[in-house]
Amino acid sequence: MTLTRLALRNALRNKARFFMTLAGIAVTIMTFLTLETALGSWDHALKLARRDRLVTRHKVSFILPLPKRYVDEIRAVAGTDGQPMVTHATFASWFGGRVPGREREFFATYAVDAATYADVHDEMAIETDALDAFKADRRAALVDELLAAQFGWKIGDTVTLESTIYPAPDGAPWTFTIAGIYGVKSQGFARQTLLFHWELLNEALPPAEKDKVGWIVSRTNGDKAAEAATALDAFFEDRDSQTLSQDERAWSTGFIGMISAVLDVIGVLAAVILVIMALILANTMGMNVRERTSELATMKAVGFSPRHIAYLVLAEAAALAAVGSALGLVAGLFFIDFGLGGFFERQLSNFFPFFRVELGPALFAFAVSVAAALAAAAIPAISASRLDVTEALRRVA
Amino acid sequence: MIPISYNLRSLGVRKLTSTFTILGVALVTLVFAASLMLARGADRAISTNGRDDVVVIVRKGSDAELPSVLGADTVQAALASPGVRRDEAGDPIRAAEVVVVVALPKKGSVGVSNVTIRGVDRGSYALRPSVRVVEGRAPTPGTDEAAIGRRIRGRFQGLDLGGTIELRKNRPLKIVGVLDGAGDSADSELWADRDTLRGAFGREGTVSSVRVALTSEAEFDGLKTALETDKRFMVSVERERAFLERQSEGLGLFLRVMGMVVAVMFSVGAMIGATITMHGAIAHRMREIGTLRALGFSRGAILAGFLIEATLLTFAGGIVGALLSLSLSFVEVSMVNQASWSELVFSFSPTPGIVIAALVFAAGMGLCGGFLPAVRASRISPLAALRS
Repeated sequence: MTLTRLALRNALRNKARFFMTLAGIAVTIMTFLTLETALGSWDHALKLARRDRLVTRHKVSFILPLPKRYVDEIRAVAGTDGQPMVTHATFASWFGGRVPGREREFFATYAVDAATYADVHDEMAIETDALDAFKADRRAALVDELLAAQFGWKIGDTVTLESTIYPAPDGAPWTFTIAGIYGVKSQGFARQTLLFHWELLNEALPPAEKDKVGWIVSRTNGDKAAEAATALDAFFEDRDSQTLSQDERAWSTGFIGMISAVLDVIGVLAAVILVIMALILANTMGMNVRERTSELATMKAVGFSPRHIAYLVLAEAAALAAVGSALGLVAGLFFIDFGLGGFFERQLSNFFPFFRVELGPALFAFAVSVAAALAAAAIPAISASRLDVTEALRRVA
Repeated sequence: MIPISYNLRSLGVRKLTSTFTILGVALVTLVFAASLMLARGADRAISTNGRDDVVVIVRKGSDAELPSVLGADTVQAALASPGVRRDEAGDPIRAAEVVVVVALPKKGSVGVSNVTIRGVDRGSYALRPSVRVVEGRAPTPGTDEAAIGRRIRGRFQGLDLGGTIELRKNRPLKIVGVLDGAGDSADSELWADRDTLRGAFGREGTVSSVRVALTSEAEFDGLKTALETDKRFMVSVERERAFLERQSEGLGLFLRVMGMVVAVMFSVGAMIGATITMHGAIAHRMREIGTLRALGFSRGAILAGFLIEATLLTFAGGIVGALLSLSLSFVEVSMVNQASWSELVFSFSPTPGIVIAALVFAAGMGLCGGFLPAVRASRISPLAALRS
């Protein structure tokens, strides 16, 4: 019998304790995986960021609009080859729409350029007919399928919204007719969104606020978004309204500043749950070693070296951690991919457009748990390997 | 009933395993208490000095100052309303302010976040006696000088005494003072001159909000009705305390819900740890338990005795966790507040209620985790245990 097999047999000796320890490790690793997946969902959004698309906003603040004429100017800005830097450009403004009576249910409402919005955002999956119907009717709106389901909206329905920013014109409420419901082709694309005609909003504004847009999104031919961003900002440098243009990756990275505190907290919590897992394991191994004092002493007496004894303890801990975390990862996979993840993607799509277990965080969780197990078993292993044979045997007798 | 000293001594005998369990429970209690303290801190970060004899007027439907725009006629009407308190010179005690946000690089992060800039008029300081300049000097009205909140200073590039940020090309705002808001939103804001801000943000002639002091709290209803029913204005009128409390409601709720979800998930692990410990403890004390039974202690007494032992164990963890959480009260956290779309800096705020809730939570982990082992102990047959 090898030492490793002996370690495995040892693990199974106290069945109740064995299973409880496995359960403890599984639960904690499942929690760890959930936290890591939350952190990883942001990396995932960064990976999906397109390199051929860029966003231009006012340099100072997102509440400051840009003149609408910037859109045409952006279309004309030429690169070093004399060709326009961008192939498409569209624009949108934040409307701050809410459904009266259900004000707490947050979703995004954009006043968009109906003619060009879908050209730039080609992740939108929508029937040509519905898109044409939207373009043709100034009071039409498009909603994504999650939002339609949330509020029970169907094509042809009239939707009344109130805005936190724009009072309704002449006291009449803002109403839109649903012209189409769209899906998404890429998981990184924000959902829970309603789009309507920017023209309609513009007409309702007082003269001083007319012809302004919230931000401009453009596409480049090939992955030249970062390059174009620099060129556009240089172009507007001497104007009253200077711009900040970012490719999608930089744009998403910018948002990390707004949630960095939450990410830090999640990181701390992940470390805490690992320590709790290590404590469970250290407890079990401490009890095991204590109960086996006499036999470990006997093994030493018949010639096993301190290193052998330490190995015996560490191997048992590692085996417990490996089996427990494998169970935890499988449970976590089911918990996240068939429960929590879908819920987050539906209800919190603006924060977690993608919430699924990925191989990276799963492997990381497994490796970290085994490492934590070895660290946790270090004290029992050392104390076992240093057992004074005569003392230990006398105590038992 | 078995004396509690028996349980205490038993826990003391098994020092190592008791310690591991106590530490695990302590960590979970720490998470539980810390999240409640954080939510409480968010609640208090803005509204500590909110007053009932001051009203805040914003545009109807705006909920917050940032998206609100009020015209000069609305401001005039508000100031001329009956019930508005006046100073010796006969001027209304009021602050008509412009509130904007700017995106600035956040230190210690790759990204940017938003900071609120409040364009103040000469009434702003008088209306808020709690706000004082504690370092540097007060900005000179009508200039590009600004003062930074004591809690947000140093968290963003340029936002510190002597620093500058650029709102318009070649027209930097110079930070000449530090504000202590003593729990006012000023702690997390940059205060600049109203007209400077209006120029930079194209807000000439408008403000975001008007605050007026009332001659008495009872004047509120009359003022509210008069302004809200006037078709010319479309405003909402609220007492300052209620308005401010609403500003951090969403953030507080978010922190509480997330904290409770995480604490409950974490507590499963700690409870299993307690079960393992109690299970082991009972396995070692078969003869002892048999003896107790033979001496005449009932099954119920054994069950209660071990439940008490488990509860004492996790309660000790709760005390350690609660003490650790108290040490967090010096830590400040900066987070985006959804209501203002900008950073709010707040600290962990302990209350007796939170400490008690944390201890109850910890004791509950012992009751749940110790239940099965205690049942097992109560079922031990005295004869079999003594024979073994």
